[in-house]
Amino acid sequence: MSAIPGAEARAGRFPGPSLIPKLTAIQREHGWLPREELARLGREERRPLYEIEGLISFYPHFRTEPPPGVELTVCQDLSCWLHGGEERLRELREIYGEDAGVEFHEVSCLGRCDAAPAAAVDDRPIRAAGVETLVEQARGGSPVPDPPARRTGVRFQNDPYEPGARDYRLLRAVLSGELEGERVVAELKESGLRGMGGAGFPTGTKWELVAKQEARPKYAICNADESEPGTFKDRQIMAEQPHLVLEGLLVGMAVTGAREGWVFIRHEYGPEEEVLREELARIRESGVLDGTDLELDVFVSPGGYILGEESALLECMEGHRGEPRNKPPFPGVAGLWGKPTLMNSVETLAHVPVILERGADWWKAQGVNGGTGFKFFAVSGHVERPDVYCVPMGTTGRELLDMAGGVTGGRDLLAFQPGGASSNFLGPEHLDVPLDFGPLQEAGSMLGSGALVAIAEGTDLLAAGTNVLRFFRNESCGKCVPCRVGSHKAHQMLTETLATGNGPADLDDRLTELEATLRLTSICGLGQVALGPVMSVMGMERGGAAARPQPRPAEPADRPSGADGSSSDHAG
Amino acid sequence: MAITAPPATRTVTLTIDGREVTAPEGATIWEAARDAGIEIPVLCHDERYDPVGVCRVCVVDVGARVYAAACVRPCEDGMEVKTATPEVEQRRATLTQLLLSDQPPAEQDPKETTTADNELLALARRYDLSREDGIPLGGGRGEDHSNPVISVNHDACIMCDRCVRACDDIQGNDVIGRSGKGYTARIVFDLNDPMGESSCVTCGECVAACPTGAIVNKPIRGVPVRPRAELDQVETVCPYCGVGCALTYNVDRERNAIAFADGREQPGSKRRLCVKGRYGWDYAQDPQRLTKPLIRREDSYPKGPLSSDVRGEGRGRRKPGGLVNYDEVLPHFREAEWDEALDLVARRLAEIHREHGSGAIAGFGSAKCSNEEAYLFQKLIRAGFGTNNIDHCTRLCHASSVAALFEGVGSGAVSTTYGDIINADVAVLAGTNTTANHPVASSFFKQAKRRGTTMIVVDPRRERIADYADIYCQIKPGTDVAFYNGMMHEIIALDLVDREFISQRVTNYGELAKTVRQYPPERAAQICGVGADTIREVARLWGEAGAAVIYWGMGISQHTTGTDNARCLIALCSITGQVGRPGTGLHPLRGQNNVQGASDAGLIPMFYPDYQLVTREDARERYEAVWGRELDPERGLTVTEIVASALTGGVRGMYMMGENPFLSDPNVNKVRKALAALEFLTVQDIFLTETAEFADVILPATSYMEKVGTYTNTDRRVQLGRKVLDAPGDAREDWRIVCDVATRIGLPMDYESPSEVFDEMVSLMPNYRGLSYDNLGASGKLYPNPDPEHTDGTVVLFDESFGTDDGKAHLVPAEWLPAKELPDEEFPFVLNTGRLLEHWHTGSMTRRSYALDAIQPAAEVYLNPDDAAALGIAEGDFARVTSRRGSIELRARVSHRDTPGTCFIPFHFREAAANILTIDEIDPFGKIPEYKFCAVKVERAGPAAGAGNGAAATRAEGDDGYGGKRTEVKAASPSEGTDEMPAG
Repeated sequence: MSAIPGAEARAGRFPGPSLIPKLTAIQREHGWLPREELARLGREERRPLYEIEGLISFYPHFRTEPPPGVELTVCQDLSCWLHGGEERLRELREIYGEDAGVEFHEVSCLGRCDAAPAAAVDDRPIRAAGVETLVEQARGGSPVPDPPARRTGVRFQNDPYEPGARDYRLLRAVLSGELEGERVVAELKESGLRGMGGAGFPTGTKWELVAKQEARPKYAICNADESEPGTFKDRQIMAEQPHLVLEGLLVGMAVTGAREGWVFIRHEYGPEEEVLREELARIRESGVLDGTDLELDVFVSPGGYILGEESALLECMEGHRGEPRNKPPFPGVAGLWGKPTLMNSVETLAHVPVILERGADWWKAQGVNGGTGFKFFAVSGHVERPDVYCVPMGTTGRELLDMAGGVTGGRDLLAFQPGGASSNFLGPEHLDVPLDFGPLQEAGSMLGSGALVAIAEGTDLLAAGTNVLRFFRNESCGKCVPCRVGSHKAHQMLTETLATGNGPADLDDRLTELEATLRLTSICGLGQVALGPVMSVMGMERGGAAARPQPRPAEPADRPSGADGSSSDHAG
Repeated sequence: MAITAPPATRTVTLTIDGREVTAPEGATIWEAARDAGIEIPVLCHDERYDPVGVCRVCVVDVGARVYAAACVRPCEDGMEVKTATPEVEQRRATLTQLLLSDQPPAEQDPKETTTADNELLALARRYDLSREDGIPLGGGRGEDHSNPVISVNHDACIMCDRCVRACDDIQGNDVIGRSGKGYTARIVFDLNDPMGESSCVTCGECVAACPTGAIVNKPIRGVPVRPRAELDQVETVCPYCGVGCALTYNVDRERNAIAFADGREQPGSKRRLCVKGRYGWDYAQDPQRLTKPLIRREDSYPKGPLSSDVRGEGRGRRKPGGLVNYDEVLPHFREAEWDEALDLVARRLAEIHREHGSGAIAGFGSAKCSNEEAYLFQKLIRAGFGTNNIDHCTRLCHASSVAALFEGVGSGAVSTTYGDIINADVAVLAGTNTTANHPVASSFFKQAKRRGTTMIVVDPRRERIADYADIYCQIKPGTDVAFYNGMMHEIIALDLVDREFISQRVTNYGELAKTVRQYPPERAAQICGVGADTIREVARLWGEAGAAVIYWGMGISQHTTGTDNARCLIALCSITGQVGRPGTGLHPLRGQNNVQGASDAGLIPMFYPDYQLVTREDARERYEAVWGRELDPERGLTVTEIVASALTGGVRGMYMMGENPFLSDPNVNKVRKALAALEFLTVQDIFLTETAEFADVILPATSYMEKVGTYTNTDRRVQLGRKVLDAPGDAREDWRIVCDVATRIGLPMDYESPSEVFDEMVSLMPNYRGLSYDNLGASGKLYPNPDPEHTDGTVVLFDESFGTDDGKAHLVPAEWLPAKELPDEEFPFVLNTGRLLEHWHTGSMTRRSYALDAIQPAAEVYLNPDDAAALGIAEGDFARVTSRRGSIELRARVSHRDTPGTCFIPFHFREAAANILTIDEIDPFGKIPEYKFCAVKVERAGPAAGAGNGAAATRAEGDDGYGGKRTEVKAASPSEGTDEMPAG
């Protein structure tokens, strides 16, 4: 068999640089991708045409027809759906559905769940309520302005720096040798810091594993492809704490021996990308990297939730369709271009400096109810103040909900997802469960991506669950059978049930079997969790959300994550 | 870095279904289970391909939170695997059910209703599933019938990726991929093009790979594709090129017709086929087959061409393509019984022989006939008529290579196989359009390149294989000697020569070194147009390679300097010691299926069988003793010399077995005169060829499909061709006809079977020693073969010494000489001729093959885009191409593959015969014509069909300008069978 990781996704078959930047350049020049240009690209780069077709049909950003004028996209995922997204969509469809000058389509979660329902005009995110003005403005020829990144000015508790005092002293200490790599690893292990992207793999163990790999070169990637409905905490961290994210990544590079690193950011996060680039320029100017050979850059995702899956992200960076690899091997051993690759999520990296500054003991002491350290949560849905909150790990759902002003209009809570779209729904009886890896798993859900979505009484819960499934179906890469076909068929059955009031008589049994099949046989986390939330909704009446076992939070120590071929970790 | 056998690996021990199993490290669970006799069902995996793990049907329980796909998961020490728990089986059934819900009903399934071996439906039966069990049904993804012989049904596709890997990893054609995302993902060809309009070359590897009804064969000539069990399997060899792929025809006995072909395991071709092999076999069933001997009517003398085309009246007229017009020609002949025809042939040839001497008789044999037929035919001419005027189309393809090889290394055969490229660090592909002419060999070249062989392609045309090259050297036409001399100059300058090899195994190195000293890379670059730095780089790569090999084609041989070109390649290998080891050596890719064997068997004027020089007394005496006749001590005339001789009254009587010199020889206008000048001509063939219009007697032969015989491929593999079909009418095997004629002229030949002929042949041919019909087996044997009962034969020759008298390689330095007819103001373009993938020789077979004719129905001239623009010629326009010898009109194809100032015309098309233009200058040693270089002018002759005037008039006559044979290519527009999906 082939020794190339991901060979099954055609990686390594056509060696050469990624065609994605060249395709992007053609699209920038022409506004779309004319066939002759694609043929020329294939000829000049000596790459098969099907490879080009595979890319441009996989990444939603590419277009094979001239754009009509204004592009209007509207989100329909859970938080937006809970905020009357459907109705707004109907209105906009009436206004623009027949408008030849406006290309109008639905889009997956834009990461603006705090401004639900969200839309985007020419890729600029906006509250759907105000799109008409922007559309007219764009139609009139004036480009839609990029909104600045939203900054609250709040100083989150995980920031060891006084305002204006970002001197990267921890990075300096590591680079000067004052703080040894081994000590960094030991401190992180001691702190109990775990991956905040979802899988919760111990960070120190991952760093140690990559550090001891002998293959060269090594790479490091900050996974900022946060794309799960309800999840926008990384967006806020990047806007407020770019220095912590970049310092964490650079420290990780120095410790593991990676020379090249990237922040892989979703393309809808233009404003935050800008913040990161500014901070990166600041770092370079500050001279902290002088004398090192560390290179850091921002890699803008060509789009798609699946790219948050770590091996799909690697496939994308290598220039292939973003289809997850069969694992093992894992990225820490064989990642980008088959080389050891350190991959952590935005939040994980943002916590590193404060742990190194104040020590593992201090960090552990910050948690409550048995938790360690801090945790960021995005809170959205039916709440008064949807926003990002940094709270002690172990804070309960009730406390977090209170911080967010409680359920909208003082209504009763019907259910909530504690950890993003892939986490099972919990009922109000679980509001006092500490929001932490273990307790949530015991309750039948998971900490997941750190996104609490609240649903008020009066909502059709089955419809909400189906909405979540719809997202996964839409974002399935299509590589493996269970996810590609199973998510679609399950969604079909549920949609019919919702429309007619009764679906197949044996719907429960069928979905139960499909859920087990998807969970046990899908290649990656997307397929494995796709049916869980809707099943949890169906299971509620029978006394709980635990329609399925939750992913094990920790993996054997010799593997960086998801030891059995599947971490549910979306954003690393 | 070359791929060598993996070092002895460590093993891991695990438990599978309670049994302890030891497997090599890296083995997958699926492989370990299979080796332990445990079958794990799978749809996306096939041992020929790297696993992808996408169907998930092979999942097994390894005790983790989720199952592992056995096909892709490596075994680990201590792993406990359960392959068939009820839970695992339940998940497999659900996966099958999911796939089944999108499939067409079984009674409409393209595979179940043809070969009935749909692997998904087999799985459905195993789990007792029905399509309509309540899971919402899918469908409506569309069908694509644009390829003439392959149907695509996207509903039946399970996205198993097998076709993708077959296309990429096996054939290296890189056409099929996955498009879209999620449930709407589909396989696509190129940029989502209809298959028939994509770059697909219709090799059919995807059909062989597809487990469901997604990609299937269409019936050809109305012969239904049925389950193999209902058909007869005949294991034989492909009748086309020298690669000699093993295949199995599935024969419908009721219809006496082939239903479809399968590639078959053989050490060389490894189950691969190309479009000709997989789909080009129906020519034998063409209604135009000759079935009765024909004798020219009295009133059709004096002789001359009979059809207006062959008379040359078609010139300048735009008309549909096609074959000899039977209606015009047949009235000039009358049917006869075999005895009458054979008597007439024997009598007339004997008369000419008696009146004008041995030199008045000549025979053209064919590289398409068997070894036995070649042997008998040359025996007839040599022993029966006492002349060595016997030749065949090797003269037109590799005669110069053979001349150089014989002189240099004492053997005309390849020193290693095409598959040996996998062991090479560096491979030079010189003047070879392998993807068209040796498609299956090219698939091994492409594979080797992907596994690490550095591939250097040297060719004036940027052929498809150049797309895979690490370095592509676009030399100017006819400058090979300068290029390779430049390379050798640099190799010597850098002291990258193999001194030990030179001192022990090479002669004349000093002279060679002296000559190439005059070719520093700068000078070579000036002549050949490749940059001096590139020449240096290539020289260094070659010189530093551990193992380096050269494969070459007619771009080397078909020049007036063809022998010199090949001499350079021999010298290049010799001075660097790159011969005699795995992954090294010299391999002229032989053109036709049996050009190697026909040459081995003595179908050449200077050699008896096994390359015994006719001019050597000892050889002559040996053959005289066996054949019982006095033999001609002088070498005979070659193909081109015989044509010239016929014009001057030298050769007067000719016997042509399966050759069609009217189209294949250079300067057709001259050939036409020569053929008309012959006193007597008998043509033995399966169709009425252009040449047959000049015949006195036409003898209906059997096609390859209807007889038994051995064929020797480019690798020196001798394979048995078996009888597939019954011959039509009174058609008779070629070997029998030759025996009949020989016996009638007083050379009794009473062989009972081809195997008896083979035994006689082998007894005279040391190289074939030990081979017999009994030990060739299903996949043939390489010669020389010291132990054919037990071994496949010798891959690498010359490991210790060369075939020359002194056992050494004789280097012959060559000076670069320009081509004979350089472009000038009046004729500013260089014309290059050659073959197309779909066609073969003069097209008599391929143009009667439905698939091949449908895909490539017309002659075209290939022009560089800049030249086309300057000439005002657009794609599809008619162009007039004129040389000093004639003029043809044909469609233009604008092609990035052609260098400015050159044009390319395939020679298969009688209605625009490239050889009307070519020059009949020949190489002084190999006597091969200069097909690759003459001066022409190109003009626009009219618009594309449909754009008005002349072409439109043709269309009004009721065809599409291409003989009306173009098949329906409209693709169903694939619609997405799903509800609206937003973009991400």
